[in-house]
Amino acid sequence: MSQNATVATRPVKIIRVGTLRYESLAVLILLCAAMSFLSPYFLGLHNILNIFLATSVIGILAIGSTFVICMAAIDLSVGSLLAVSAVCGALMVKPLHLPWPMVIVVTLAAGGLFGLANGFLVTHGRIPSFIVTLGMLGIARGLAFILAGGRAIYDMPAPIVWLGQGRVLGVPVPMIAFLAVAVIGHFVLQHTRFGKYTLVVGDNVMAARVTGLRVGRHVTKVFALSGAIAGLAGLLQMGRLNAADPATGIFFELNAITAAIIGGTNLFGGEGSILGTVIGALIMGVILNGLNLLAVQAFYQQVAIGAVLIIAVWLDRLRAGAQEA
Amino acid sequence: MTACLRRGMLAALLLGTLSTAAWAQPKTVGVLLKNVSNPFWDAAAQGAKDGAKAAGVNVYVLSSQSDADVGPQLDICNTMLERKTDALVVAAVNPTGLLPCLAQATKRGIPILDIDSNLVQDIAEKAGVNVANSIGSDNRQAGAQGAKYMAGKIQKGKVLLLEGAPGTLTAIDRAAGFKDELPKVAPGLHIVASLTGNWERDKAANVTNDVLTANPDLAAIFASNDQMGLGAVEAARAAGRSDLIIVSVDGIPDAVAAIKEGRLAASVAQLPYLFGYRGVETAAGLLAGKTYHPWKLVIPLVVLDKAVLEKGTDPMLKYVR
Repeated sequence: MSQNATVATRPVKIIRVGTLRYESLAVLILLCAAMSFLSPYFLGLHNILNIFLATSVIGILAIGSTFVICMAAIDLSVGSLLAVSAVCGALMVKPLHLPWPMVIVVTLAAGGLFGLANGFLVTHGRIPSFIVTLGMLGIARGLAFILAGGRAIYDMPAPIVWLGQGRVLGVPVPMIAFLAVAVIGHFVLQHTRFGKYTLVVGDNVMAARVTGLRVGRHVTKVFALSGAIAGLAGLLQMGRLNAADPATGIFFELNAITAAIIGGTNLFGGEGSILGTVIGALIMGVILNGLNLLAVQAFYQQVAIGAVLIIAVWLDRLRAGAQEA
Repeated sequence: MTACLRRGMLAALLLGTLSTAAWAQPKTVGVLLKNVSNPFWDAAAQGAKDGAKAAGVNVYVLSSQSDADVGPQLDICNTMLERKTDALVVAAVNPTGLLPCLAQATKRGIPILDIDSNLVQDIAEKAGVNVANSIGSDNRQAGAQGAKYMAGKIQKGKVLLLEGAPGTLTAIDRAAGFKDELPKVAPGLHIVASLTGNWERDKAANVTNDVLTANPDLAAIFASNDQMGLGAVEAARAAGRSDLIIVSVDGIPDAVAAIKEGRLAASVAQLPYLFGYRGVETAAGLLAGKTYHPWKLVIPLVVLDKAVLEKGTDPMLKYVR
C-alpha cells in the first residue's frame, strides 16, 4: 500500500507573511488629513506625541493579540490581566515595602503566569480559547479588585512613574516602549521560528502536527507571551496613573483585537502583520484624539471605530475576491 | 488742539484698542465629565453651557464613557491641553488618576475646578496640582439626609445599602454618611447588606432581587444614586414589594417622575445642574482675577419627596433638571 494514501488531502495554503493591509495605511493617512483640516490643533508635534501616548497601552496589547490571533485563537482576558498584574506588582511596595525593581519583575511575571494558565486550559483542558479567556477575564478582574481591596493602590515609586510619565528627549516613554515592542514583535513574527510556528498553527494545525511541531506546547507559549505583554501594558498604565487601579483596562481587549484586525491580521489565523497592527491602533487613536479635539460626543467615536473595523475587513474581502477571480 | 494733547489722545486710543483687543478674546473653559449616559452628568453639562452663556465665556464639554476606569478620562484630559483651554472644570473618576494631566495644567497656569468633590486637596497638592476650588454637595451630608428621611418613615427593620462604584470618593462618602447617621436617628434599623450596584440600574436591580430573596422581610433600601434607586424600585415591584421604602440621591428627572408616581420615596437632590453652572461661573471669575473662599463651595441639597414636589414652592426646585 502506498504511504501517500494516508496523508491528509486538505491542501496547505501558502502562508502570506507580512501582509500589510495597504487600505489601512491609506485610511490612516486620509484620517490624519481630514483631522488636520478640521482642527488646527491636530498636526502639532505635541499632539502627535499625545496620540502615540494615548495609543501606547492598547497598542502594546494589540501586538500581543496579533500573535494569538495569528494562531487562530483569541485572548479576551488581556484587559483584566493588565489590571491584575499591575495590582500584584503594586502590592510589592504597598504594603510589602520591597525595592522597586520587584514591582517590574512581579508585574511581568504575574501577567506571564496568568497567560500560562490560559495556555494550559486551552491545550490540556481542550477548551476553546474564547471560553478560557472569557472566564479568565472575569477571574482576573475579580482577583484584581480583591487583592487591591476594592480601590486603586496609589503612589508608586518614582522609577515606575517614569515608565508611564517620563520623557526621553521629549518623547514619552510609553511611546518608546510601544515602538520597541512593535519592532521586536515584527522581528519575532516574521523572522524567527517562533513566529513561523505561530502562523503555521493558525493556518493549518493538522499540517503543523504532521510536521512534528509540538502544537500544544507552542500554544501555551503564545498565551504566556500574550499574558506577559499584558503585564508590560499594566506596568505602563501603572506609571501613567501613578496607581495600580483594578478598574482600569475594561474593554481594552476588544480595542486590542480591533486594532489587530483593522491592521490586516486574519481573525481565522495564518496571516498577520505587526506593522499593520500598529497602523490599526493608530487609526483608532487618531479617531479618538481628533474627535476629542473637536469636542464631539463619545458616542460618535464608538460608531466611527466600529465602522472603520467593518470597512477595513470589507475592503480586504474585496481585494481577496478580486485576486481569486 | 495742541500736538501734545493729540499725541496723548492717540496714545490713549491705541492703549484702549490694545487692551480691548486682549479682552475681546473670550476665554475658553474646558469641562471634563464622566459617564455620559447618566442623566446626572447630562444636567451638569447643561448647567455648564448655561453658566458659560451667563459669564460670557466659551465652553466645550467632553465626557468619558465610564465612571470606573480613569484611563480613558486621562487621555481626554491630555487632549484638552492640546487645544485652547483657559480653565479646566473636571469631574474626576477618582482622586488620583487625572493628577498627571492636571499637574501639566497647573504648570501652564490653567486654573482647575473640581466638581462633585472628586479631588482631595492635599493629595492633589503633593502631586503638584493646584485645585482652585471644589464645588459640590457634601456627599456625606447626602448620605446622612437619606438616613434622616428614612428614619422619618420607618423606625425598625432591615435595610439594604446600595453602594456606588468601588473606590470612588462619592461612593465612599455617601455610604459612610448613611451608615454613620442611621444608628443615631433610627437605632431599630439595621443594615443587612451593603453591596455595590456600580451606579447602574441593572446591577442594582439584580442585587436587590438577591437580597430580597435572602431577606423577605426587608423594609427599606438606601441607594447611593438615583440610577441604582430606580433599578431597586423595578426589582421591588417585580417581587411584589411595592411597600419597600426606597431613598436615593441625585434628583434626576426619572427619579422625580418615580417620586410623583409614588414608587420612589425620596431623592436627596444634588442639583447637578448647579454643579456645572457654578463650575463654569467660578472658572470665569478666576480667569477675571477673582478669588473664592472657602476652598469648598457648597451647593445645597434638597430632599425631594412627593410632598415637596406637589407643593412646588421650594426655590431650589427650578434647578432640578
